Order: sequence, then C-alpha cells, then structure tokens
Amino acid sequence: MRRIPFAALSILAASRAGAAVLPERGFGLPRDVSLDGRHIDSLIHFTLIAIALIFAVVLAMLVWSVARRGRCASAAYDPGSRRSVFLLLGGVAAISVVVDGTLFVRTLEDMNGIFWNFSGAEANPAAVRIEVNAHQWAWTARYAGPDGKFNTPDDIVTLNDIRVPTGAPVVIQIASTDVIHSFYVPNLRVKRDAMPGMVNGLTFQAQVPGEYEIGCAQHCGPNHYKMRGILTVLSPEQYRDWLATAGAIALRAYDPDDASAHWGWEWRSL
Amino acid sequence: MSTPAQRLYEELQPIHPPPTSFWKKYVFSIDHKVIGKQFLWAGLVFLLVGGVLAMMIRWQWAFPYRKLPVLGDLLLPDSGGVISPATYQAVFTMHGLIMIFFAVTPVLIGAFGNFLIPLMIGARDMAFPKLNMYSFWTFLVSQGLVIAAFLTELGPAGAGWTTYPPLSTRIGTPGIGQSLVILALFVTGVSSTMGAVNYVTTVIRLRAPGMTYMRLPLTMWGLWLTAILNAIFIPVLGSAGILLLLDRHFGTQFFIAGAAAPRGGDPILFQHLFWIFGHPEVYIMILPAWGILGDVIPTFARKPHHWYRGTVASMVTVTVLSAVVYGHHMFVTGMSPLLGEGFMLFTLLISAPSMIIVLNLVFTVWGGSPRLDTPMLFGLGTLVLFGIGGLTGLLLGDISMDLYLHDTMFVVGHFHFTMAAGSFVGAMTGLYFWFPKMFGKRLDERLGKIHFWFTFVGLLFVFGGQLLAGYAGQQRRLFDPFQYTFIQGLRSLNRWTSYFAFALFLGQLAFVVNFFRTVFGEAPAAGENAWGATTLEWATASPPPFHNFDEIPVVVRGPHELSNPEVARLTGRDFAGQGEPLAGAPAPAGGEA
Repeated sequence: MRRIPFAALSILAASRAGAAVLPERGFGLPRDVSLDGRHIDSLIHFTLIAIALIFAVVLAMLVWSVARRGRCASAAYDPGSRRSVFLLLGGVAAISVVVDGTLFVRTLEDMNGIFWNFSGAEANPAAVRIEVNAHQWAWTARYAGPDGKFNTPDDIVTLNDIRVPTGAPVVIQIASTDVIHSFYVPNLRVKRDAMPGMVNGLTFQAQVPGEYEIGCAQHCGPNHYKMRGILTVLSPEQYRDWLATAGAIALRAYDPDDASAHWGWEWRSL
Repeated sequence: MSTPAQRLYEELQPIHPPPTSFWKKYVFSIDHKVIGKQFLWAGLVFLLVGGVLAMMIRWQWAFPYRKLPVLGDLLLPDSGGVISPATYQAVFTMHGLIMIFFAVTPVLIGAFGNFLIPLMIGARDMAFPKLNMYSFWTFLVSQGLVIAAFLTELGPAGAGWTTYPPLSTRIGTPGIGQSLVILALFVTGVSSTMGAVNYVTTVIRLRAPGMTYMRLPLTMWGLWLTAILNAIFIPVLGSAGILLLLDRHFGTQFFIAGAAAPRGGDPILFQHLFWIFGHPEVYIMILPAWGILGDVIPTFARKPHHWYRGTVASMVTVTVLSAVVYGHHMFVTGMSPLLGEGFMLFTLLISAPSMIIVLNLVFTVWGGSPRLDTPMLFGLGTLVLFGIGGLTGLLLGDISMDLYLHDTMFVVGHFHFTMAAGSFVGAMTGLYFWFPKMFGKRLDERLGKIHFWFTFVGLLFVFGGQLLAGYAGQQRRLFDPFQYTFIQGLRSLNRWTSYFAFALFLGQLAFVVNFFRTVFGEAPAAGENAWGATTLEWATASPPPFHNFDEIPVVVRGPHELSNPEVARLTGRDFAGQGEPLAGAPAPAGGEA
C-alpha cells in the first residue's frame, strides 16, 4: 500500500523548481557544485600531475636506453653499483615522501575535517538532516518535519527526489532494505554505501542551485543502471517554501495502516 | 665426475623410465611438464571465453539495445540477440571470474609454475608429482562447474565478480548458476592450494646443489612467493564461499541483513573475508609476472639484473604488506575512520617496493644492449602498461580521491592495467620466452610482433578510455550508462574504446594462428638455448626429456651472468649458464650486488 504517499510525491514532482539536469561538457571532472569538492579536485590534479611526471621520466629512460644502443653494441657488465642503487633509492624515497606524504597528510585533514566530520556539520544550527532508504531500485528519502523526529506522521517522504538548500551543511544517514547500494552524487564528490542492517553517514554542502543526478555506484541487480535519482539544490527561501508545502501534503497523505511507509530510525550520532 | 652433493640429490630423485601408454603420457600424467601444458591449454580455452564475454560488454556500451552481431542469435535466442539487463550482469560477472580464476591464473601460475619450477631450480620433478596431477584434474572439475552454470535456466552468476552478499544470496540471485559458480571458486581454490603446497615444498626441498636463495631466478621468487600467498589466503576465500553457500541453501544468515533478516548477519563480514583474500590475489597474479620480467628483460638487454637483492627484498616486502592493505577496497562501506586511514597508510607504503621493482627493471635496460625480439617487446610492454596501472592506483588508495573515484570506470581501467595488462601481457611475455623450451620449436617472429602491437596499443587505448570515462564520473557495471545525463557526453568515448577493444580481440588471432601453426605444424627447431639465456632450463634439451636433466646440475653462479668480459674471454660467448663450470672463472657478479 505505497500508493498514497507516492501520489503525494507526484504532486511534488510537478512543482519542481530547478532547471533540468544539464549534461556535462567534455571529458573532465563533472562541475563541482559543493563547498568542499575542490579539496578532492585539487588532490586529484596534484596526483595526476605527479604521476604524469614520474611516468614521463621513467618512460623517457626506457625509450632512451632502447633507442641509443643497436644490437651490436655490447652491454655493460653492471649488476648495479652503489651509486645507481643510491640513485634509485633516492628517487623512490623522494617520490614516497613528496607524493605519498602529501596525499596522506592532506587526506587526513580532508577526511577528519570535512568528509567524515559529521559532528562538525551537525554543530551548524542550519544543518539539514535527511534519512535515505535505498532499495532495489530507488532512493526513498525522509525529512523529519517540524517535530524534528524521524518516522512520525509529519515526515516528508520522497522518491528519487532529494532537495537541499544552498549554504547549509546537509547530513544524510543512509541504509538499505535489501542489497548493498552506493549513494553517489558526482557533482558533489560524495559517495557512501547503503548497507542493509547498518546506518552510514555522508555530508556535503551544496552551493549552486540546480538539478543534479544521484547514481547508484554499487552493482545491485539487473536494474542497477536505472537506480537514478535527482538531487535538487534550492535557494534557502525556495527550500523553506518547498518544505512547508511538502509538509502540509505529507500530513494529509499520512496513512497509519501503511506499514511499508513507516521506516526510519532515530537520528544517530555517527 | 659428480660431487657428493650431486650424488645425494641423484639418490633422492632417481631417473624413472618415461611412461609408454598414451593415457599415462598425455592424460593422467604426473610429469610436471605435461601438467604445465595441460594448464596452459585449459587456461587458453577459457581466455577465449572470457575475451568473448568482454566483447559483449564492450558491444553493450557502444551500442546498447542493438542486436549482438555474429553471436547474438546463437547465444541469446530468447531476446532476439539483444543483451538484456539480466544477461548483462551475468556477462560482466563471468568475464571477471573467468579471466581471474579460470584463464590467467592457470596460465600464469598453473602452466609456468608447473613447467618451470623443477627445470629452473634443477630438479627432476615436483616434490609431490601425484598431488600435482590431482591439482590439475580438480581444476578441470571447477571449469566444468563454470560451464554447467552457463547451462542453467537462470544463467550463471550475476552478483559481480566480488560476489557481495546479500546480492549473491538468493535475495538477489535466485538461480542455481550462482551457487555452481561459488562452488567452482571453492573447487578451484582446492586445486590452487594443492598446487601451492607443492610449489612451496619443491622450492624449499629440491633446489639443486649450489642453488641458494640468492641465486634463484626471479621467476622462481615470484612463483614461490605467490604460492605462499595462495596457501595462506585461498582457504579464506574457500571459507567465505562455504558460508555463502550455507546462506543460499541451508537457511543460515551469516551475510544477510535488512528486511529479509532483521536480526541477521553482517554483509560487511563477507567483504572482509573476500578482500583479505582478494587483495593478496592481486599480488598473487602480479608476482609471477614481475618474476618473469625480472628474468626476460636482463636476457634481452644482455645485462645482469640491476640490484637483484633489492628486487628480491621488495618482492618479499610486497608479499608481507599485501595482507594489510585490503581495506582500501572498502573505504566507502562505512568503516571506522581510523581503520580506513591505517589501510591508506599501508597502501601508500606498498607503492615504495613496487616502485623499486619497476625501476630496477628500467635500470636493467639502461646501459644494456636491448634486442627487441618478441618476448622483449612483450616484457617492455608489460612494464609500461603495469606502470600506468600502478601509478593510477595512487588515486584509489587515497580515501578522499576514492570518495569520488570508487566504483567508477577509473577503478576498472586501473585494475585492468595491472591485472589484464600486467598479468596477462606478463604471461604472454613468458609464453613467447619459454615456448621454444616447452615445444622445442620457434614461434614466428613476424606474427609475434603483429600480436604485440595489437595487444599493446589495444590495451593502452581500451583501458585508457576506461580511465577517462571514470575520471568523468561514469560508474562501472551499468547496463546502459547513458541513462544518466552527466554520462551522455561520453557516448563517443565509450564507442571508440569499444572499437579499440574489438581490434585488440581480433589482434589475438595472430597469436592463435602462430601458436597452432607452430605447435602442430612445421617450424624451425629451437635448440637447447633459444635466446642465449642463463638459467638452468636452457641447459637441457628442448623440449626437456622426461627426467629433465641427465645429471642434476651444480649451480655455480647467479641467474643473470650476462656480458661479463671475463666469460667472453674464456668462452667467446656473452653469457654463462648458472650450472656451467668455467675453468679459472672470476668471481661472478650477477646477482651478488
């Protein structure tokens, strides 16, 4: 008996405010519309440049050593000298310290400070809390409504349609009812598995209004490819309006007998 | 004229008369060389199956919903030759499992391990020849189970090669095919374990007199360390498989949670078990390839391996570390941040010994006199392709970048550069190198070079295309990626990648023709030592007699005594075999640095 809340959803869908999802241009990273995605992007660019340099130098050595000697030239009887071994170890040590060291330190900062810092995000009074229940093959989202509690009659429940305001941290707690899914929004640079029997968290802050795609990143059955949702980023005012309208519809559409609509868990600190 | 040590080894390994009946000679053989070739054939047949499946995936990404040409009507009569979502998930699942467990593993470890270990360490056979035979026949049973899975009503496995529950329980894949494939993995694990025990024992017990660990050819180091990893970690996969089968058929709930089992088990437990095996498995497949390169590249550069001890130490370090990096496959599962960061640290650390191994190979070519015969081309090609695979791994072993790149095509491109390019092209390097020893004839060089260029360029562009698609965010395992608006701009990229894949597949014809024509037709004889190589197997006939060596050799030097001017003065050659005594020979340097 899911029909009633879904009927409400179709009304909501009709009132969608943002523009349609835009295709990405070119082959590069998708547009970053989040506050913190740039940390990931700059790390990716740093690593790509570093590995391109390493690859170019090593490839040049290889090509040069193949090209400079003909078949007749005799090879050096050289199983490695102290000098060449030091040179090699020095190169490896330099790469390890500079590249691996940078990655390690910056990632610790990023993860502990931003992407896995749920308490930090929730400390903001404007933080938006959403529970997402993944199932074959859709994303159901739940907003707590005015009482601030999940799984109560005033909850707003949506299907494949998550709306968030700009400028406020969003914290999503996610679980699955059947198999493993993975919540992935390329434009926000976030990804988190939805695990049956477990509640996982993810956080982001969106900056640019518009519609973006939610994809499933974990193979979850034949229709894995169809598990697509829309994340709509609204201005704070639009978001407030939508929340009020949706809340009113949700209260009217609430069906106490529809057990399948009564999922949701007490908000956890992760 | 034999030494006391030699007499001891002769007593331990007496020469047995070769079998005379057809069955004992070619079918139920206990001769490691025959078993090696049996693994080779079995692996090559499944390589073709895995390759056809790969072409189906590429067809789907280039032309979704269009009828599969050539094979469509034959393989998919119910859907009019079009790949359906259910077929597609079976296709990519079986492509992964077949390539890893039933194609590359038997060639790289089964064929080379069996054929080479006794020959390269100077033994007459494996420590347990009968166990060796059982290992092959068990493997054949597992391949039979895979074929049986294809014939079941709901088709073979469809939960991805990683077989994550609950999708791989009957909740997600109700067909018996999935169970048969899990069983096949268990049975092939039994085969690998038998092989591993045999390899480990043989290398420890049967090395010829003088063959110290620091004189072992690098191929032996690679295969030996691989066997150790197999013996330790394959049983973990086996137990995970049994628990999964119990979940599927006996009502247990080890890995089931969610609505189907509110008080159920833990799906993540399976991932831990799978990747404790699965990440060493990556090294299980790359260590033999590294070893092969470590012997092939010096031979064709005509120069001793650069810093042999450094490579050996790095291979041992990688083997040890391989067990503590597996968590990087699970960064987005919700693991404790501290645990994730620990796994990231070890993952970054393991890049150092891997770099040493690769750079040692580059330094070996540096200052050498490279001869670009087919095995060398494949060796250098492996080095370049594996280099890309290793370097792109840096982005995935790092948690914040993995947040974006996890489960995208970038991962697919990365592990294909390591496993498909590193392991598969590494195996091809070995095959071209040891083919003269295995079959006593020479492969055609021209066809070999055509095969190389198709393979190298093909792999470069196919997996490079996958890296690009993943960088733009395209998830892996999508039946129709273009459902997503943000992927729609990648349509031509996916199509071009597929064209390169088709060319890559067709290019393998050059190998098939070359291989069959040489094995079954007329071809120039290879002679004892086809490449001027130094290791022991080149000091006996090609193909070697049933007992390998008329007299157990005494090893007097390291594995790569090449271009030593003193050797040239004494023999007129630029190399000296490991077991070749030279009057007034200088202290050998190869392998002693």
